[in-house]
Amino acid sequence: MTVDFIFDGLNQLFPAVAGNDFFLIIAMLLPVAALLGFITIYGFGVIYSEIKVSSFIQDKTGPMGQGPGLHAGKWGLLQPVADGIKLFIKEDIIPASADKPLFILAPFLIFIGALTAFIAVPFGEKIIIVDMNIGIFYIIGVGSLAVIALILAGWSSNNKWALFGGMRSAAQIISYEIPAGISLVVVIMLASSLNMQEIIAYQEGGLFNWIIFDNPFMPIVFVIFFISALAETNRTPFDLPESESELVAGFVTEYSGTRYAIFFLSEYANMFVISAVAATAFLGGWQSPFENFLNTPAWSVFWMISKTFFLIFVMIWVRWTVPRLRVDQLMHLCWKVFIPIGLFNVFAVAIWIVVIG
Amino acid sequence: MTSDQERLIAEFVEKGLAGDMDSINAIEDRALRGKVKSALVKAKRSGAVAKESKEDTKIPEKENQQDKQAEQSIDEKIKKMIEEQFPDTLIENSDSDHIQIKPEKWYDIANWLKSDSSLLFDSLQCQMGIDIGDDMLESRYNLHSMELDHYIEVRIAVHRSNPKIPSVEQIWRIADWFERETYDMLGIEYTGHRDLRRILLPDDWEGWPLRKDYQVQETYHGIVVPKMKEGWE
Amino acid sequence: MGVVHGEEMVLNIGPQHPATHGVLRLQVRTDGEVVSQITPYMGYLHRCFEKHSENVTYEQVIPFTDRCDYLSSMSMNFGYVVAMERLMEIKVNDRVEHIRVVMAELQRIASHLLCTGVFGLDLGAFTPFLWALRDRERILDLFELTCGARLLYNYMWVGGLSHDIPVGFVESTFEFLDYFEPKVDELENILAHNKILVERSADIGVMPKDVAISYGVTGPNLRASGVKWDLRKNDPYSIYDRFEFDVPIGEGQKGTVGDCWDRFYVRIIEIRESVKIIRQALASMPKEGDVHQSLPKKIRPPKGSVYARTETPRGDLGYYIESDGSPIPYRVKMRSPAFTALSVLDEIGAGWLLSDVLAILGSLDIVLGEIDR
Repeated sequence: MTVDFIFDGLNQLFPAVAGNDFFLIIAMLLPVAALLGFITIYGFGVIYSEIKVSSFIQDKTGPMGQGPGLHAGKWGLLQPVADGIKLFIKEDIIPASADKPLFILAPFLIFIGALTAFIAVPFGEKIIIVDMNIGIFYIIGVGSLAVIALILAGWSSNNKWALFGGMRSAAQIISYEIPAGISLVVVIMLASSLNMQEIIAYQEGGLFNWIIFDNPFMPIVFVIFFISALAETNRTPFDLPESESELVAGFVTEYSGTRYAIFFLSEYANMFVISAVAATAFLGGWQSPFENFLNTPAWSVFWMISKTFFLIFVMIWVRWTVPRLRVDQLMHLCWKVFIPIGLFNVFAVAIWIVVIG
Repeated sequence: MTSDQERLIAEFVEKGLAGDMDSINAIEDRALRGKVKSALVKAKRSGAVAKESKEDTKIPEKENQQDKQAEQSIDEKIKKMIEEQFPDTLIENSDSDHIQIKPEKWYDIANWLKSDSSLLFDSLQCQMGIDIGDDMLESRYNLHSMELDHYIEVRIAVHRSNPKIPSVEQIWRIADWFERETYDMLGIEYTGHRDLRRILLPDDWEGWPLRKDYQVQETYHGIVVPKMKEGWE
Repeated sequence: MGVVHGEEMVLNIGPQHPATHGVLRLQVRTDGEVVSQITPYMGYLHRCFEKHSENVTYEQVIPFTDRCDYLSSMSMNFGYVVAMERLMEIKVNDRVEHIRVVMAELQRIASHLLCTGVFGLDLGAFTPFLWALRDRERILDLFELTCGARLLYNYMWVGGLSHDIPVGFVESTFEFLDYFEPKVDELENILAHNKILVERSADIGVMPKDVAISYGVTGPNLRASGVKWDLRKNDPYSIYDRFEFDVPIGEGQKGTVGDCWDRFYVRIIEIRESVKIIRQALASMPKEGDVHQSLPKKIRPPKGSVYARTETPRGDLGYYIESDGSPIPYRVKMRSPAFTALSVLDEIGAGWLLSDVLAILGSLDIVLGEIDR
């Protein structure tokens, strides 16, 4: 939507050279630049909230530096910036025995996966970079790119810990895509569309029209989707690929400096994408929780962001509360619990749609 | 200090203990008065301690004696039993708090100590090696029975030229690491041990550090080994 | 369908690894994630305690004992002075004994807090670790108040103490205990009954009774296997026979007796028992008494040897001291509880997954300073 909008605008501004390929490129690059800016700012914000929420849970103050200069700012506001600067000016180390091309490729690949998923996220009623007719399908597809990146990182580091981490993450992410996908199938069945905006439009009219309250099975579907989402983003209690007390740092063991920062940022970017999908598919997207209450295009951005951030907050909360599962328990949970329940939900909701809805 | 003075001080201290401080304060010689006072404080303190220790330790002492008797009896009992079952292994010793045996039959004795129904030494508390001088090395075992709650110490001495003692690693599993440590530190070889390697020091360390004549190696992989300092600096 | 076996891989856990609690190297053979053999290599922290002891005087050994188990220095001091006093037949007065018991039990709480917190950390729960450290900090403050040091105290001397307790110590300690008791429940709630932690630790790394005894495992690890053995009860030293407290044992509440969960839970109950002992000791502490009263001028024990055991947070700590009548020890041997606890790792850890091995290692509560000495 946004790309088309900019393209049309440019064409109208310069009718002499309308339809130019150059305009199309500009129309594509502008939103991407805006997106990069958003991810950076979001990254600082989410890292800061991770630090502060964890500090609150752990009964400590966290960064509390005062004043400008090289301190961490008031209430430690500049802490993420300082962390970022530290990571970016660190020496870039590539192990001598690593597979160099793959080692360099892995962080880019994971970042591409995270970034491209953003273009189908509906930030507001009018703000979505590309409004694809298969939006939700596209996000799931692009999200799978992370697996390749993680395996590459694990394998190319030529380190046993990294290999363990890579293999674990491959098994984990591929497995958990199934319950997540099955959960979204239910949503697609209800909304009869793969388009993000149409799924949101289906949930118009306040809190009780949201898909999560659509029928009695939907809360279960939401919980399965959310837990699978935690597993897909490698967050505790599913952070086995990088579990620091077992695998040192898992697939990022050999990474340092900028490359590590990219892995780090991608994890948070993935969190945003998956939370945005959850908000879109289950919590009404950019819709206001009350009918005709602050339900304008401008407020829609606020609702979308706050729903997404609420889910991110829950992810942070869970992370600092529970221990980590073991790898076989993780698989058990996925294949023996979530997939049967998920499949049952698909059938139950299908019957519900036919009989009641 | 002359004996006259000492006698004088003793007299005054006795007076002081009886509560007559005035006569002490009335002494004209200041040096003498100081000495008397300090002697008085000492006497008071030692008296207090003596009193306290008398009161406090009377009962435990008895218990201790009983314990000692019990220990002695178990020691004596085991000594007798060893005499009977494994003749010619016991070495008579004047101290009665441990059992001194020859190394040859140690494995069988250990097995018997653990399995005999009246002994049941199921726990090897501590095993240590010591260089007792005269070119002898000794391996000491503190055994304890969890079930019957009795306790003995077994000592086995071997000559430095052939420091071989049968391993009891398969009887008490902890002896595995204890014996490795003693081997590491004193070079006593435990025959029959399945995995006798150095445990705390690197595999290629030279010498046995806890022997009294140990000389630190000059360099280790090119690193100069600092000499141990004599005493406290 | 049979179990699929792949090629075995040798993996070095450590010497620098977040879960080895110091510098320990575990060489494990793994088939996929299943561990088939564990070989510990230690000695990275070997500081020649026993050799040093043969070159310094008896009182100069005490600071070395501090540094062996740096997480329970008070208990290490306590063991040494108990052995020395038994060798020299010194009787210290009641006030000293009471202060020693209070310090040793505070130290036990501090050490168990760290252990339970780190066990959670090994399983991926970061928050309980910081909660435990927060409370441990209060105990270290009490120690700092007493002797000025927070980690290595050199507080107990042969025949007495280095200082008497300061004014207000008893009140601060009571205040701390009042603050602390609800915090133990908090710690228990977030860790012990957490579904994921129970899944991760129940039925894992079961140590049967006979294995524990044969490997010389002592302390909370032995009690978790169901053996009611506590030197404070079974062979009372100092004045432990005067206090009332229970000896908790593993009951297999969530799984089998002697699993990781039991080893972890026994420590939490022991914290509560220690609180009980401290309360009794503080209440019955005599007001009068000089802590230097029976301090010998020169430590020159008679010829002979002594083997004395005391109960540290990690188990039976034995000192074997051989004296030749000079002011310098002829031989000091420390029988360290963590050393024996580590030796059982291969027996109970082989056959489990890699993550379980680290959980088992965490539940054994080892301190490398004491293993390597």
